[in-house]
Amino acid sequence: MRLLFLITVAICAFAQERPPGSLREFLGLGAPPDPAAAKKGEPLYQANCGGCHGQNARGGQAPDLLRSVTVLHDEKDEEIGALIQKGRGAMPPFPLSQEAIHDISQYLKLQVELTANRGTYNATYSAQRSQTSGDSAKGRAFFEAHCRTCHASDLAKIGAKYPQAATLQSRWIWPARRELPHAVVIVDGQTFEGSLVTLDDFDVALRDGDGAYHSWSRTGAKVRIDDKLAGHRALLARYSDDDLHNVTAYLAGLK
Amino acid sequence: MRLLWAGPKGTDRSIHPAHIFVAFLLAGGAALGQSSLSPSAQDWPTYNGDFSGRRYSELAQINQANVDLLKIDWMFRIEGIGPQRGVGNPVIKSTPLMVNGVLYFTIPDHVFAIDARTGARIWQYDAEDHGGHLVGQRGVGMYGNWLYFMTPDGWFISLNAKDGKERWRKKVADEKLQYFTTMAPLVVKNHVLIGVGGDAMDVRGYLESRNPETGDLEWRWWSEPLKMGDPGSETWPNQSAMDHGGGMTWMPGTYDPELNLIYWGTGNANPVFAGQSRKGANLYTASIVALNPDTGKLVWYFQASPHDTHDWDNVETPVLFDAVIDGKPRKLLGQGSRSGWFFVLDRTDGKNLVSKPFSGTGNWAKGVDAKGQPIPDPAKEPKVDGSMIDMPALGATNWPPPSYSPQTETFYLNGTEGYGIAYLYDTSDQPEGYGGGGGGNFDMRSALFALDIRTGATRWKHEHAQGAGMTGGVLTTAGKLLFTGDSGHFAAFDPAKGALLWDQRLTAPVSNGPSTWMLNGKQYIIVGAGDTLYAFTLARR
Repeated sequence: MRLLFLITVAICAFAQERPPGSLREFLGLGAPPDPAAAKKGEPLYQANCGGCHGQNARGGQAPDLLRSVTVLHDEKDEEIGALIQKGRGAMPPFPLSQEAIHDISQYLKLQVELTANRGTYNATYSAQRSQTSGDSAKGRAFFEAHCRTCHASDLAKIGAKYPQAATLQSRWIWPARRELPHAVVIVDGQTFEGSLVTLDDFDVALRDGDGAYHSWSRTGAKVRIDDKLAGHRALLARYSDDDLHNVTAYLAGLK
Repeated sequence: MRLLWAGPKGTDRSIHPAHIFVAFLLAGGAALGQSSLSPSAQDWPTYNGDFSGRRYSELAQINQANVDLLKIDWMFRIEGIGPQRGVGNPVIKSTPLMVNGVLYFTIPDHVFAIDARTGARIWQYDAEDHGGHLVGQRGVGMYGNWLYFMTPDGWFISLNAKDGKERWRKKVADEKLQYFTTMAPLVVKNHVLIGVGGDAMDVRGYLESRNPETGDLEWRWWSEPLKMGDPGSETWPNQSAMDHGGGMTWMPGTYDPELNLIYWGTGNANPVFAGQSRKGANLYTASIVALNPDTGKLVWYFQASPHDTHDWDNVETPVLFDAVIDGKPRKLLGQGSRSGWFFVLDRTDGKNLVSKPFSGTGNWAKGVDAKGQPIPDPAKEPKVDGSMIDMPALGATNWPPPSYSPQTETFYLNGTEGYGIAYLYDTSDQPEGYGGGGGGNFDMRSALFALDIRTGATRWKHEHAQGAGMTGGVLTTAGKLLFTGDSGHFAAFDPAKGALLWDQRLTAPVSNGPSTWMLNGKQYIIVGAGDTLYAFTLARR
């Protein structure tokens, strides 16, 4: 059931949250930048290039280098190197060593990587993803009014479990289920109970308490599911963005 | 009028149907009236079967009375290719063309010609992977005996339909700038129309017309105005924002021969989630545009997601149909948009008749403007700590093709409902790339929607409360049937009421838009599911 659903989602739009390496392969970004060389390249870039091309290489009085055809076409410093050594237009030649050129080139490629490969965003923007503008006291009031009945004490350390506010927020709004939902299936007067494996227009299948697998056609099978997320579902239409941020701020403080 | 040629037994095989199709349109005889929207009921010579994008077939040999007798006639499984870079095992997203008894279909970097009657392979064309995104491949276009195919790395390739031999290739997009090419070229008169994809870096979208014999460029339409001062540039803050504004053209459009207009959907604006460096509506991204196919000149536009900051490509098929509205026959265009809205426009001038959300309440908009375009609510743009919308973050629908049935005057699409959050990450005044992200698809429910073209109201909905869901595109037929994918099965529904009439379990969920055609007096239904193409016919025929 969940597998199918994942496939459906994959068909509709490829998931944004993929491991950075796999997304980089998908995007066809070429060889990954060398972080050590990029680190050495950063001060060289700032000293030689940043004044005109911007501290972040996104352009200033000289062009944006992340969107530069020369940078994006370069594979082994051949284009970047030639341009640095010979200059172009208003840009004078820079007599830098091959090693320095390589390091600057790797620095630029790392900036491209951090922009084009959104699989890297979680790490790069960790600080932003940990921010919330919510009011913890208001969040607590909301929680007491709408959530406490079901969540008496189980969320006591949830803020420590999800240090990024954005992750915590998605998680509490709609907790992705780890365990399969509990279901009751009644067929020919017989009742079966267990963890739901499949439920679609055609089939229902579950694993009973002993771990045994059973499946039936939906025709003639009555299915009842414990909807553990009913409370979450009912609240979805009622939240203002402030409610979300307030509750997130409150839960983030539970450590 | 309708293009007729003799039935299969009387078909003159020396004249190529695709050629007739083209010649017919060149002759200017194709009124896109309701009776001529399927100029080729026997064959399926374009991505959508005809120029209208309705994916409605006049064929009725398979119908409600006998659909129980549908059986798998043959299967063709793609073998020997293995996992493709970054995407895994091959998935058929293309709609096969069926011309003269041969099916032509694709996956990224590969074209297959197979016997439509038996599923036997006739030839296979293999390109090497040299970059670009292998996210999908929608199929080939055909002009006379020539096929047109696009590889992910921006090559536009002409093949001989007879043997799959390459005739020429033209580089049309730069994959190093993160463009990629997936679409099925659309042949309109003697133009081959090709679009591009790619929003990882901030590049300009464009649509090109190429010469079918030489592949040379005839015109290029850019998704943004070329320079400040041009019409539409007032919706951008500066030249640089326009030059990097996105608006990809990655799905085949539609064509009205009588009005001589092509209709194309454009993708989201760039940077994708960070809109602060491109204040304004950002024309002509996330829009439907009507262009003259001979010149590439814009005739009208309708923007479905002005100043888009949610990655809502508006490339879903602009479907052309005619209907009587308030006593008057009208030439209409309908689109189920990724932004969750259903639009019906007058396709002569783009004037709006219906704007209504089908997924959620459209709470990202504050209503619609005088043109019927949603007015984005700044409060619902991506925020550092998140802003929730009442539709899934990945959008309400996507490229899998919708359908319109003139029998029911209803628009059908597979869509999703739920809730999502959009985050802004890059808060600088120079954001690039995505600059944020969609975070969450909460309580996501998949459904087959049947939408009333006069009101946009949902007439019926086949909904999945649990993890199962609709997959692939929709096909309707004169046999009062609607075919689509449902949770790993291929299924037929009653288009009038939504009852599930028939199904067949497949080895993978339906992954393309189903299609249908006649061969030797037998109606076939064709559908792709993962790496396998299935052909269905009636038992005992």
